[in-house]
Amino acid sequence: MEWSLATFHASAFVLAIVFFLYSRDALGSALGGLNTLVGLGLFVALWGTTYLTTCRALRGLDLLREGDHLLFARRAFRWGAANGMAFLGVLGVVLIASAVFVSPTVLLPVLFVAPFALVISAVVGAVVGAVFSAIDLALLAVARAALDVR
Amino acid sequence: MPLDAHALHLAIRWLHVAAMATAFGGALTVFALSARTRNAALDAALVEVALRYEFMFWLAAGVLAMTGIGNLAAFGTGLPLSRTDWGMTFVLKLGFVLGLIVLSLPRTLAIARLHRSASRPLTEALQSRLRAMYGGTGAAFAVALGLAVWLAHG
Repeated sequence: MEWSLATFHASAFVLAIVFFLYSRDALGSALGGLNTLVGLGLFVALWGTTYLTTCRALRGLDLLREGDHLLFARRAFRWGAANGMAFLGVLGVVLIASAVFVSPTVLLPVLFVAPFALVISAVVGAVVGAVFSAIDLALLAVARAALDVR
Repeated sequence: MPLDAHALHLAIRWLHVAAMATAFGGALTVFALSARTRNAALDAALVEVALRYEFMFWLAAGVLAMTGIGNLAAFGTGLPLSRTDWGMTFVLKLGFVLGLIVLSLPRTLAIARLHRSASRPLTEALQSRLRAMYGGTGAAFAVALGLAVWLAHG
């Protein structure tokens, strides 16, 4: 359950961004500045942080039962924020590690920007988490109807 | 030693095709199994196989998303614009794949519920729904594959 939900969230999130950027002809320039291996690594990182936070959001809950849905939505909001911050942390480490060899002075502005970036990533993560929890619960209702036959 | 960009993109394409084959072939396998006449033991085995397929499906879906973007990166700034024939087909494929992923989650959750319920053998209506779900998944992958072949060679 955690595995399928986490992969659904990470894949759908990234594909939706690709769809949005490509339909506005902004994807080529976005991908042009990204090393292929780093891009693959960042997707794996997002997949990993989403899996870990989804496991925490579902811990002790049984999503297949009716009673836990409200608690799941609240936890999705909270752990979505944690996921946003965790992914930003990974992204920050990669960017700093690649920039610090070129120009060590980059660390000072990074330290200044980091707290603001963390807050923004938490807000974005929480909103995305809340949206996905609503989608998950709607799709769970579809799943119930799909095999609800005698 | 610097990494050969051509070899890297070839490896990403190979991984993309392997993930597609896993998801497509697995859906056809579960569909074929669900089309057989059954008894309680065969039904229990079918639900187990379907549950394992769901794990593999999501692994393949993640790899497809990741390597699909890797394939796009190979175009670099030469990526065709969205208003070209290639671009419109790509937008269609991307939207189709997003729809396939969204509609696959209810299938996975339904199989998880079915695995938990101890009702074996499956009723004729349940078997019919399983056939429809996996037949539909296989058909959707066939369409996605057709679009992918057009994008690569069309």
